[in-house]
Amino acid sequence: MKYAILKKSDLNHWLKHLKDRAKLYAVRKKENLFVFRPVKEVQDVCLDYIPTILPPKKYYFPQKEKLIKFSVQPFKTAKAIDKFEDFILFGVHTCDIAGMQCMDVVFREVPEDPNYLNRKDKMTIIGIECLKYCDQYANCTSMGNHVPRGGYDLMMVDLGDKLIIHINSEKGEKLVTGLDYIKEATQGQMDLLESTREEKKKIFKEEFTGPLTKVYDTFDKSFVSSVWKDVGRKCVACGNCTAVCPTCYCFDTQDELDLSLNEGIRYRIWNSCQMDDFAKVAGREDFRKGRDNRQKHRYYRKFKYPVDKFNRYFCTGCGRCTRACMAEISLVETVNSLLREEKK
Amino acid sequence: MKRQSKPKVAFFDFTDCEGCQLQFANMGTALLELTELIEIVNFREIMSEAGEDYDIAIVEGSITTDNDIARIKAIREKAKILVALGACAATGGINGIKNRSSLDLAKQRVYGDKAGQINTIKVMPLDAVVKVDYYILNCPAYIPEIIAVLKAMLLGKPYPLPNYPVCAECKMNENVCRYEKDQECMGPVTRGGCNSWCINKGNRCYGCRGLVDNPAVDAAKDILQKYGLKTEDILNSFTLYNDSQGAKYDQEFK
Repeated sequence: MKYAILKKSDLNHWLKHLKDRAKLYAVRKKENLFVFRPVKEVQDVCLDYIPTILPPKKYYFPQKEKLIKFSVQPFKTAKAIDKFEDFILFGVHTCDIAGMQCMDVVFREVPEDPNYLNRKDKMTIIGIECLKYCDQYANCTSMGNHVPRGGYDLMMVDLGDKLIIHINSEKGEKLVTGLDYIKEATQGQMDLLESTREEKKKIFKEEFTGPLTKVYDTFDKSFVSSVWKDVGRKCVACGNCTAVCPTCYCFDTQDELDLSLNEGIRYRIWNSCQMDDFAKVAGREDFRKGRDNRQKHRYYRKFKYPVDKFNRYFCTGCGRCTRACMAEISLVETVNSLLREEKK
Repeated sequence: MKRQSKPKVAFFDFTDCEGCQLQFANMGTALLELTELIEIVNFREIMSEAGEDYDIAIVEGSITTDNDIARIKAIREKAKILVALGACAATGGINGIKNRSSLDLAKQRVYGDKAGQINTIKVMPLDAVVKVDYYILNCPAYIPEIIAVLKAMLLGKPYPLPNYPVCAECKMNENVCRYEKDQECMGPVTRGGCNSWCINKGNRCYGCRGLVDNPAVDAAKDILQKYGLKTEDILNSFTLYNDSQGAKYDQEFK
């Protein structure tokens, strides 16, 4: 079976089934926004949502993660977590799946990061394809992430009263087989998927004023640009943009002793290039002074450096950095300003 | 780690509400664990004895009289280590509002026709008078930070104050941004380390931990103005807990 069909009226049955199989995380409302949370009541699960405050990266790269346990005297270290549990991420947008693919490239680079892999290997991803824009901040079309491009186990597409599910892995297939309410998709339903995607093309338009290759070339020439001065002046250096980014992976490691003052845990904690002290080294040298340079660095870590290193753009187009910026620094506007400047 | 003898710790307070010592007393089982490491000899909120022989002084409150100056100097002389506990001691805290007007006017407002009899001076954090070895920020002090600072102290290590804003921790806690809800918030310019305590509980940030070393004042001003605050209100937000940095913003905001 390549495509399966689930009636929306049976969705809660399926969610209960998934919940019995593994720890289930899905999106639910938090005030006027959305968050990924463990599913308690299946009826709270949202499939129509704007990107969550934090991307699902918190489940495979937690904000504060235990790395090892240690004791000082006698000096000993041990695994901090012995067993990782299977988990399912339900209803993940295609942009966030692109984010996972970026993280995978980074953490699988030799030497592989076991802390990441421990979690990632236990993860099953069930995606949902967006058929309309979440809001005005996304730039997923320019990044090519408005459509599924692999990296998932199952991908759902809304066909009105039904969901058509693309089965992309054996792990995924096991979650839809043997259930009397999930059937193989008929040719008619496949045709409907085709026409739905045709309709979608009319809605999603490239948000940047130039193609990605042009964006890359522009970054190559824009290291010195007034655009960075403007962005730096607006930036309040809160670090929201990097915290909410699905591809930012910088971290700090810290050892914390308990009150025995002999035993403790080594943690890794999210860190951000937007912080004042991030690039400071011994002797108080600062390799990236100024909010303009730090913002520039963030953009180069999305549109230039990872392309050179991994042949991949590290912007997924989710729009979170723009959405979370109280100073209204817009990623689309910044990139378009650079493109405009380039043309002159 | 086995210790030969436990260091003796004494608590003192100056101009404050004693709420930070109350936080200390409310620590729960951690306080019992701490007593394995330290000997508390003077702490009037939890014991009747008042020992005058101590190694470590944990001091709450800000300096507001000439008598305070003499007293804190005497404490400093005796203590090997001096810890400033809470916003009033560490940064001057909310008492600093007094400094926003002239001393005479402040006295007049509070004491009316008795103003002449009052001996009071400009509000100062402890380190304006004596050397402070460790700072525990916040109003009131945040229990996990109290423990973290004491651990560093007992290990003989420095406790560098975080130099990132409250937003960094607030986002990690996945709170809905106050600005998203059209509320002002001092999070972007306030020193983190409180794990965005107030925002987690549905409040906003008032800046009680003092400002980060290098606050983006222009950008913060733009943002606050966009959310409808007047320059005067913005200055008040910046200086509610931070008179020590107030003079700087007087120039920038007026």
